[in-house]
Amino acid sequence: MAPAQGSSTSGPTRSKLSLKGSSKLVSEFFEYSINSILFQRGIYPPEDFQVVKKYGLNMLVSVDEDVKSYIRRIMAQLNKWMGGSKISKLVVAIVSQDTAEVVERWQFDIEVFGRTASSKKSAGSPANKENSAPVGAKGRAVDAPTDKTIDEIQQEIQAIIRQITASVTFLPVLEGRHSFNVLVYADGDAQVPAEWIDSDPKEVQNAEQVKLRSFSTASHRVDTMVAYRLGTVE
Amino acid sequence: MNFNTPVKSRRSAHCTPRQSRLDSSPLTPRHYGQLSSSFIGSRRNSPKTSIHKQIGSPLRLDTYLPETTLVGTGPSSAANTPKRVAKKQLFRSSVQADRFIPSRNSSSTTMSKLEGDNGRANASSCSTSSGSIASNSYDYQSSVAEACGFALNQRILAFKPEAPQSKKPIDLRSQYNRPLKPAVNAQLRRRLPTNAERILDAPGIRDDYYLNLLDWSCNNQVAIGLDRDLYVWNAESGTVSSLLRTTPDTYISGLKWSGDGAYVAVGLSDGDVQIWDVEEGEKVRSMAGHAARVGVMSWDRHILSSGCRDGSIWNHDVRIAQHKVSEYVNHEAEVCGLQWRSDGSQLASGGNDNLVNIWDARSSTPKFTKTNHKAAVKALAWCPWQMNLLATGGGTFDKQIHFWNGTTGARVNTIDAGSQVTSLQWSTSYKEIVSSHGYPDNNLSIWSYPTLVKNGEIQGHDTRILGSALSPDGSTLATVASDENLKFWKVFEQIGKKVSSAVMGGSLASGGKDIAKVMMIR
Repeated sequence: MAPAQGSSTSGPTRSKLSLKGSSKLVSEFFEYSINSILFQRGIYPPEDFQVVKKYGLNMLVSVDEDVKSYIRRIMAQLNKWMGGSKISKLVVAIVSQDTAEVVERWQFDIEVFGRTASSKKSAGSPANKENSAPVGAKGRAVDAPTDKTIDEIQQEIQAIIRQITASVTFLPVLEGRHSFNVLVYADGDAQVPAEWIDSDPKEVQNAEQVKLRSFSTASHRVDTMVAYRLGTVE
Repeated sequence: MNFNTPVKSRRSAHCTPRQSRLDSSPLTPRHYGQLSSSFIGSRRNSPKTSIHKQIGSPLRLDTYLPETTLVGTGPSSAANTPKRVAKKQLFRSSVQADRFIPSRNSSSTTMSKLEGDNGRANASSCSTSSGSIASNSYDYQSSVAEACGFALNQRILAFKPEAPQSKKPIDLRSQYNRPLKPAVNAQLRRRLPTNAERILDAPGIRDDYYLNLLDWSCNNQVAIGLDRDLYVWNAESGTVSSLLRTTPDTYISGLKWSGDGAYVAVGLSDGDVQIWDVEEGEKVRSMAGHAARVGVMSWDRHILSSGCRDGSIWNHDVRIAQHKVSEYVNHEAEVCGLQWRSDGSQLASGGNDNLVNIWDARSSTPKFTKTNHKAAVKALAWCPWQMNLLATGGGTFDKQIHFWNGTTGARVNTIDAGSQVTSLQWSTSYKEIVSSHGYPDNNLSIWSYPTLVKNGEIQGHDTRILGSALSPDGSTLATVASDENLKFWKVFEQIGKKVSSAVMGGSLASGGKDIAKVMMIR
């Protein structure tokens, strides 16, 4: 836990711009990821997507006006939260329209360096933390953020996008019509507009999970994971 | 029910209180499914036993406390417990709860690692299970939540508006291995030759950018100037004839067929401009006067304009004795590009001073002077289907192809060609323009206009292409390069269409001679 304290104390000294820039980069990554998922998982017809050069890849971005504005509304709020480091997870849940079941769940864990300790007020005594340290993802936040060039970050992002693209090879084919929901895990003190409501985590029942790659910037670390239902196992 | 098995009966004393409280919690039904532990699940439906009633009271739990500390797995827990007992009684009970059911404890932590939200479910069930003791304690809740890897002061928020419906059903399978762009119909696809239709030797051609030594007449004859000699190659018969040889002190620096294809104008390095009758093979007249070499000429009916190394452009009326009718002076360096518009109302000129001038035929001051090019401008071409569109290409330092509106003087488009532009030819059958290049690529590029998309390129020559000429039917491009090759390319061959004379336009056919419907190269 000692390194965690180190990084958290050095966190505030980091320039505000780097956190801002990093948030922007992360949000942008979310936007492209969501679009990629929608395309790769066939939520919308492929004709609705257009190739855009990004991260040195050909990214597919929806050109359907409704979808575009829907994603734009999500991203607008996400940007605000990201700027204030108010969210810790972003989830894209793919829901069957026939059974309303969650069949697939893409989860992006957002770790803000230097925030984990400082923002967690009165979470318990230090002794208490000792217990929690090995549990969960918080332990990883301690990795001292290394200084990376934009190119290196881009390459990490590129690897994730490639994995999302490649995931169609192991993900089950989605039968029938599907829709998607976007969830965030927000801090309790985050400002929540009326468009966002409390929700259950939309877990996939009987899920198989695959962890994808991560990327990190000077201020953020994003882990990617996909959970999907094993079609045959009931 | 399950009490029959010895293992479960042993645990029952510890488990039952939790179970009973879980049953009473409103959240319980959902969590049961997630706590996949089989014995808990099966227990759910079990009828409430007398044990349940007995240990349903909170007091009972207290009686377990010492028990669990004894059962505790290690000294650390034993050490922890007293501390917390002193500080927070409630937290201690949570530790105990974890100790009570080791299997469940382990499963909940592993699940929380894998699935943070199942962990959350456990956390809430934990808190409800012990809620009878300490339902309101934040510390307790947070500690339990933390133990389950879940931050309590967190909300899961969903974006409420429904995602827009996809407008048509999607078969994901059809998406795999699907080309992103629909395949272009093979017939519509532009095909370019990779090999020359024919290759002729052009020995001794002067490797000089500023000269114009190749032209193709409307009678399907190709004239080429090779140092002191001018050869005419008949594309229909394949015969070659030597038209002229200059005196040893001079060389051919420019040549141009007249509009009717009967005469060829020859510019010499000593400044002489000669008119030759090709049929007869003799010189018609000589129009002297230029002080330096004449590298470029252009015909407008009976007017021959010649561009000189000294920057002057003279207009000669070839019918009259006093041939010089006007002079255009604006260039300060050698004029190397000269092109009359097909209607004869405008003349475009390009020079080594990097200028492009557009002259009105009636005025001896330029209508527009364009300074955008950063190198000499040799390549000039008026668009055959849009009268006022002029394309100009710059030299090595510039590499740009600019498109101008000859009426307004505005630059309408630009292509970065990436190489020295040595000539430009508009297609008469496609909406395309072909550019020939020198350093560094030495290739031919075919561009769509106005989309400016490069439709292809041909690596035809080893060294820089000095000039090009388009056949009268518009299908074949002749290029000559400093590798002493004259090559013919069917770049604008019309596939599936009859080659009609209409394509060739009136100006070319004005010579009066009938042009073969299908041109042959032998």
